[in-house]
Amino acid sequence: MYAQAFFVAVFGLAAIGFGVVVFRTSSMVRSALALLFSQTAVGCMFLAMQTEFLGVLQIMMMATEMSIMAIFMVMFMMDPGGLGGMDMSHQKRFSIGAGVSAAVVAIAVALLSDWGPVAEQVPDAEAQTRALGMELLGRSMMIFETAGITILTAMIAATAVAIPVKNLASKDNKEASE
Amino acid sequence: MTVVLIVALLTGAILFGIGVYGALSQTNLVMIMMGVEVMLAGAMVNLVAFWRFLHPEAYSGQMFVLVVMTVMALEMAVGFGVAIARFRAKGSVEMEEAEDLKG
Repeated sequence: MYAQAFFVAVFGLAAIGFGVVVFRTSSMVRSALALLFSQTAVGCMFLAMQTEFLGVLQIMMMATEMSIMAIFMVMFMMDPGGLGGMDMSHQKRFSIGAGVSAAVVAIAVALLSDWGPVAEQVPDAEAQTRALGMELLGRSMMIFETAGITILTAMIAATAVAIPVKNLASKDNKEASE
Repeated sequence: MTVVLIVALLTGAILFGIGVYGALSQTNLVMIMMGVEVMLAGAMVNLVAFWRFLHPEAYSGQMFVLVVMTVMALEMAVGFGVAIARFRAKGSVEMEEAEDLKG
């Protein structure tokens, strides 16, 4: 129990620390890497809380997702290296106020609520994965299928939005001239 | 055990606050998306903690985490699609230059 508390706290602090670095550093590559480390620390928290499948999934997903994000940041940012000292933020006071308020409310709920009895044991990793599979293909199948269809829709929508309009216009002109 | 639950919930709360700050304070679309990712990570930490310490017999808790991960992937895919379209049209993804999108 003490080991679990220690590891959850250590990985939690790492997730928070790297989360702060994301918005404090000027270099966009460092920012993307800090987010990767923060999300990996969250995955390690899942592992420390004996949720092995979700922990491994989180680490694998975030490793690929943040690598793609780093490439996009270098492509799209005005000052990806952060060498120009550009300030890429606005409404700082309002943002700090909103962030602190949201955190304080959530912390108050966490500390003041009566969470009732806490479970001491959970099934092992194999039993958990099996039970999650049965849940996905049983009671929650409609939600699972909806998530799959939504991902497919988003992939098509993102590709459609990203296709250059110029080519379509030139194709229309070509067809019109013919 | 309650201590571990509280530590996890506090971590989730602070991550959510950091995400709110990032999403509101940044001017670049990709950085705003990063803020949203941090907020969703905070929500996931809470969901896993609730499942582990309060209802380990109900696997719909883990199902919720999978749904949140799906939302993260969708946000990335659609966000980058919009970013590419915007960059092609205006040469920038700075949100302060996107006032023409106001209705």
